[in-house]
Amino acid sequence: MLVRIMRLGRPAERFDDVPQRVRQEAVVALGQKKILQRIGPGLMHALIFWGFIVLFPTIVIAMIGAVDKGATLPWLGHQGWFAFLVDLFAVLVLASVCAAFYIRKVVRPARFEGSHLGEADLILLWIAGIVTTLLLWHATRIALGINEWPASWSPAANALSNLFGTGQPTETLERVFVWAHVLLILSFLAYLPYSKHLHIITAVINVYFGRTTPRGRLEPLVFDDPDVPEDEIRMGAGTLTDMTWKQMMDTVTCTECGRCQEVCPAWNTGKALSPKLLIMGLRDHMLEQGPKLLAGDEEAAGVPLVPNAVTDEVVWDCVTCGACVRECPVSIEHIDHIVDLRRHLVMAEARFPAEADPMMRDIERSSNPWGKAQQERADWSEGLGVRILEPGEQPPEVLYWVGCAASFDERARQTAVSTAKLLQAAGVDFAILGPRESCTGDPARRMGNEYVFQAFAAENVETLNDAGVTKIVASCPHCFNTLANEYPDFGGRYEVMHHTELLAQLVRDGRLAATAGSEQITYHDSCYLARHNDVIADPRTLVEAVGTPVEMANHGKRTFCCGAGGAHMWMEERGNAINEERVRQAAETGAKTLAVACPFCTVMLDDGVRTSGSDLRVADVATLLAESLEDG
Amino acid sequence: MNILVCVKRVPMTGGTIVLTPDEQAIETRHLGFTISPHEECGVEEAVRLIEAQGGESVVLSLGPSDAEEQLRDAMALGIDRAILLQTDEEFDGQATAAAILASIEADRAAGVEYDLIFFGNESADSGNYQVGIRVAHALGRPCVTGVKGITVENGRARCEQEVPGGRDVYDVALPAVVTVKEGLNLPRYPSVPGRLRAKRKPLETRSPKRTAPGVEKIRLKLPEGDTSQAEILGHGPAAAPAVVDVLRRAGLVA
Amino acid sequence: MTLVYVEHQDGTPEEVSLQALALARGLAGGGEVHALVAGASAEAASGLLGEHGVATVHVPDHEVYASHAPVALGRALTQLAARLGSHTVVAAGTERGNEVMAHAAAIADAPLAANCTEVGAGAELTVTRIRWGGSLLEEARVHGETALLTVAPHAVEASSVGAGPAAAVERFAPELSDADTAVRVVERVSTSAGGGVTLADAKFVVSCGRGVGSPEGFAPAEELAALLGGAVGCSRAVTIAGWRPHTDQVGQTGTKIAPEVYLACGISGATQHMAGCKGAKRIIAVNTDPEAPIISHAEYAVIGDLHEVIPAITAELRKAGAG
Repeated sequence: MLVRIMRLGRPAERFDDVPQRVRQEAVVALGQKKILQRIGPGLMHALIFWGFIVLFPTIVIAMIGAVDKGATLPWLGHQGWFAFLVDLFAVLVLASVCAAFYIRKVVRPARFEGSHLGEADLILLWIAGIVTTLLLWHATRIALGINEWPASWSPAANALSNLFGTGQPTETLERVFVWAHVLLILSFLAYLPYSKHLHIITAVINVYFGRTTPRGRLEPLVFDDPDVPEDEIRMGAGTLTDMTWKQMMDTVTCTECGRCQEVCPAWNTGKALSPKLLIMGLRDHMLEQGPKLLAGDEEAAGVPLVPNAVTDEVVWDCVTCGACVRECPVSIEHIDHIVDLRRHLVMAEARFPAEADPMMRDIERSSNPWGKAQQERADWSEGLGVRILEPGEQPPEVLYWVGCAASFDERARQTAVSTAKLLQAAGVDFAILGPRESCTGDPARRMGNEYVFQAFAAENVETLNDAGVTKIVASCPHCFNTLANEYPDFGGRYEVMHHTELLAQLVRDGRLAATAGSEQITYHDSCYLARHNDVIADPRTLVEAVGTPVEMANHGKRTFCCGAGGAHMWMEERGNAINEERVRQAAETGAKTLAVACPFCTVMLDDGVRTSGSDLRVADVATLLAESLEDG
Repeated sequence: MNILVCVKRVPMTGGTIVLTPDEQAIETRHLGFTISPHEECGVEEAVRLIEAQGGESVVLSLGPSDAEEQLRDAMALGIDRAILLQTDEEFDGQATAAAILASIEADRAAGVEYDLIFFGNESADSGNYQVGIRVAHALGRPCVTGVKGITVENGRARCEQEVPGGRDVYDVALPAVVTVKEGLNLPRYPSVPGRLRAKRKPLETRSPKRTAPGVEKIRLKLPEGDTSQAEILGHGPAAAPAVVDVLRRAGLVA
Repeated sequence: MTLVYVEHQDGTPEEVSLQALALARGLAGGGEVHALVAGASAEAASGLLGEHGVATVHVPDHEVYASHAPVALGRALTQLAARLGSHTVVAAGTERGNEVMAHAAAIADAPLAANCTEVGAGAELTVTRIRWGGSLLEEARVHGETALLTVAPHAVEASSVGAGPAAAVERFAPELSDADTAVRVVERVSTSAGGGVTLADAKFVVSCGRGVGSPEGFAPAEELAALLGGAVGCSRAVTIAGWRPHTDQVGQTGTKIAPEVYLACGISGATQHMAGCKGAKRIIAVNTDPEAPIISHAEYAVIGDLHEVIPAITAELRKAGAG
C-alpha cells in the first residue's frame, strides 16, 4: 500500500549516479557510519543490525528445523565458524538490547520526547525473544546431542546446554523453542509494516536514494517546462501528492530516534520545531490521507500539509543549519522538506511572516535584502584602491564576491576591508563587481521564493559569464555555497573558494606572513561552511597563525548555528535566542576572542555578545589576520 | 464595475541622489524601479474592489517601455489588463493629464467607461500633486484627494482623508476620480501563479502626444548644505547626558 | 497683481501661508497682493494679513465653505483671479494648499508649479521647486498667461512689513455649480486615542527602524516619548513588516514631521525617510554605523545601539527630574 501511495507522489531524480549510491549504501547502511556518529547507541544498534544480517540464515535453518527435526541447511548448518558467528552475535544482540533498555529506561535522553516509546520497547522485547529462543533452541539441541555443528564452536549455547538433561522434557523444550522462535519471527514480520521497525526495509532503500549532490544545494523547481501546463507547475509541497516519492519514503523511514531533535538549534531554544516531529507529522498525514486518496476520496487530495501535518510556526522556525540532516542515520533530508513546504506557502499562497515582507520586496526591487541602492555597493572600498570590474574589461585572475552583508552592514564591512587588504598584500590579482554584483538570492531561496531566486541566479550568471570570470572567492559562506553548489544548475560553473580557503593557502605558501600570538581564540564554524561544505580545517589554519585556538564542545560538523540561516537574519525570534546560546557556549571556553568566517555569524554573535553582556570580541578571521600583519 | 489605476515607474533611490552629467535626470544605472508608493496602494485597492464586487480593472502608465515591468507587477496582484502610453520624454503635470485623458477618451469611444479612476496623490519623484485633479475636471467628475480609506456602495464612494485628530469624510457619486495615499491598505505580495498569469495578460501600447509644457524643466540640482557631518555626541549609553543637553537647549526639558 | 490663497485656523493665518505671502510679495515687486480666505472667522485674519502686506482680503460667501470644499475653493480662486486680473496665484504647499491650487489650475487650464522654494524674476517666470520630497530640486520655467505656484513649507521666511492698517475685507459670491459643491467634507471622524500628541504636531519625535527587532522593541521609545510629551514614529520597513500602523510612518509617503528634536534610531537615512523629517529643527541620529547616510543629514549623532542608548537617555532624563 505504501508503494501505491508513493506512486501518487511527484518524481525525483534519484536514479542516476549509481556508483556513488552503491558506495552510500555500503558505508551508511551496511557500515552503519551515520549511526556510529554517536558511539554508544551507535554501537548498540550496529551490533543488532549486523547481528540481523549474520543471523538471517538461522531463520531459514529454524524453519527447516521446525518442520523436520533432523534437518538443517546443507553445508552452512554444519559449519563451525558459522555457528561461532551466530553464537557470538546472538549474545551481542542480547547485550545490545539490554544496553538499549538501559538507555531508554535509565538514561532517558531528551531526544525521545515525542517518540512512541511503547512500540520501541515491544520491538526490543521481540528481538530479545528471538535471539533468546535461538540460543535456547541451540542449547537444547546440544543437550540432546542432535546439533549439526560442533558444539564447542558455540560457547554460549554450549554453556546453556548444561541446563538441560537428555530426557523427554528437553525433547519437548527443543520443539517448543524452535516453534517459539519461528512464531516470534513470523509475527515480527507481520507486525513490521505497522511499526517504525519498517525502517529495516525502508532505510535500506532510503539510503540508496539519498542525495548524491552537494549538501548545500537545493533542488531547483522548473517553471518553464513547455510540457507542463501552468496550473500544474510544482511549487513545492502544498498537499500530500505534491511531495516527491523520496520525501514520502523519508517519512516512513523515520525511526523516531530523535538525534535530529537533539541537535536542532530551534528546538534547543524553546521553539516549536523538532525535525523528528516534523517528519513524524508528515508521516501521520501520509498514512491518514494516503489510503483515502487511493480509495478515490477527492477531498483528501486537497488537505493542505500546512497547518494539518505541520504548523506554520514549525515551518518558519528552521534556520537550515543541517544539523538534523547530519545526524540522521537513515538519510532523511529534513531541509528539503521544510524548504518545499516554504516554497508552496510563499509562491503559491504568498503566506509568510510579515516581517520578512520588506526583505523579499527589497531583494527583488533593490537587488539586495538591505534595500540599499546598488549604486552604493562598493562604497566600503573607497580609498582602498580596489579594482571595480567594468563591462568589457579583462577579467581578474580571481573575482572577489563581496556579498550584500559585507557591502551594506557596518559590522560585516570590516571583513571586506580586511580581505581586500590581505589580497592586496599577497599580490593577488583580484577585482570586485561593485554595483553589478546582485544578491546571490540565497535568502530568497531559503525562504522558499524559488522564482525570485532563479531570476537572480540567471542574472548573476550572465554577468559573470559575460565578464569571463573563472575563479571566485567569497567571504560569505552563503554566497560561497550558492555560487559553488547552486549556480551550476543555471549555467554558472566557476572555481569557487571561501575566503578562508584562499587566505589559508596564501599563509601556507608564505605569501602572507602572520605573527603568531598567544591570545586565546575560539573559532565558530559556520553551518554553511562546515556542515554543508566541509570547510573546517582552513579557517583553523588562520586562527592558529594568529593566536592560540581553543575549541567549543560543538565544533566542526557538530557546530551550533548562530541563528541567521534560513532567512532568519530578517525574521523575529520567539523563545530564547539561538545566538545568545551560542555566545554562552563560546564564553564557556574562556577565550577572549570569538573568531568567525561569515558576515551573518559576525552580526548575530556580536548581537548576542551585546545582549548577554559578555566581553567577547567577535571578529572575522580575515580581520584577525589583517591585524596581525599590521602588528608584525 | 470598471476601475482604472494610473501608476508611474519611479527609481528607488538610496541614501544619496546622483545626477546625470547633463543635469537632466537622476542617474538610474544600478537603481531598481518600482510603482510609486501611493499608487501601489491604489492597485491593491482596485484589485480588492473588483474581487468583492466583480468587474474589470485596468492599469495604465505613461512612461518608457521599461514601465512594462511595473504594469506586469500590477497585473500579478490581480489587475486584468494594462495600457502603456509609451514615451521616453518627461511630461509635466498638464501634459501627463492630457495624455491620460486622451487615452480614457479613446477607451470611451471603444465603449469602455470607468466607474472609478485611482491616481497616486503625488508621484514620488516629480511631486506635482495635480494629475488626478486635472483629469477629473476634464471628465467632469468629482475628485477626492489624499484618500486613506474608501468604501464603494450603491454607486457612491465614501472616502476618508487623514487630518490631525481624525479623518474627514467625503461622499461622492460614481463615476469619480480618487487620489490615494500610502496607508490606504497593505499591498499583497504577488504569488507565482499571479506572476505567470500576468505575463500573458493583455498589454496594449499607445503613443501619447506630448503637449507643450506649462512647467518646463531647465535642470535638476541637489540641495545645498547636506555635506556637513553631524556632531558626534558620544558613543553608546555614555552619550546620554549630551543628548539630554540638546533636548534641554531645545526647550523640551524643564 | 498677485493673489494668495491663505489657510487659517479660526482666523489665525497658518505660518506656512504667511511664508507663501512673503514669496508672493517678492514676486509682486511693488504691486498689490490680495488674499482669498474662506470659512468661519475668515475676516478675523485681516489684521495679521495686513501686517504681512495684504491689501484686501476676499472672503467667498457660500454655505459650502463651512467645511473644506476643495473644488468650490478652486472655483472661487479662479473667478477672483480673473476678476482682479492676477496673473500669479500663490499658496502654501500644504496638502490642502496643493489640492485647492490643483483644482484652480485645472479649472483655469493654467500651469501649476508645486512646492517652490524660490522664484526668479525675468522675461519669463522661473522657479526652483522640490522633487523627491526635498532631496532634489528642479529649476523650471513657467509658461503661460496665468501661473499658479505653491510654496514649499519652511522654504521661505515669513516677514511682516511692520505695524500698519489691517487689510480691507471684501465678501464676494462665487458662481458655483452643483459639481463644484459635491466634493466637501460631510463628516469628521475622530480617531486619536485621546491624550496622545499626533506625530505631525509633536515637538519631540523618536523613531526606530527595523533594527529595533520586533514590535515589542518599541517599548523603550514609547517610554521616552511619553516622558517628553512627544510621539513615536517609525521607518517604512517597519510598517511593511506589520510592526506599526502606517500612521506612525515618518517619510515622504508617510507623515511629514517638524519637531524641535527628532531622534532617529537605527534609521539609515534613505532619501524617502529624510523627506519626511527635514522639517525637524534638530535631528539626532542614533546608529551603529558611522557611515550611515543619515549622519550627514543630522546635526548630531550618537554612535551606538538603540537598545542601549534609548533607555540610557530615559534614565538620564529621570535623573534630571523630567516627566
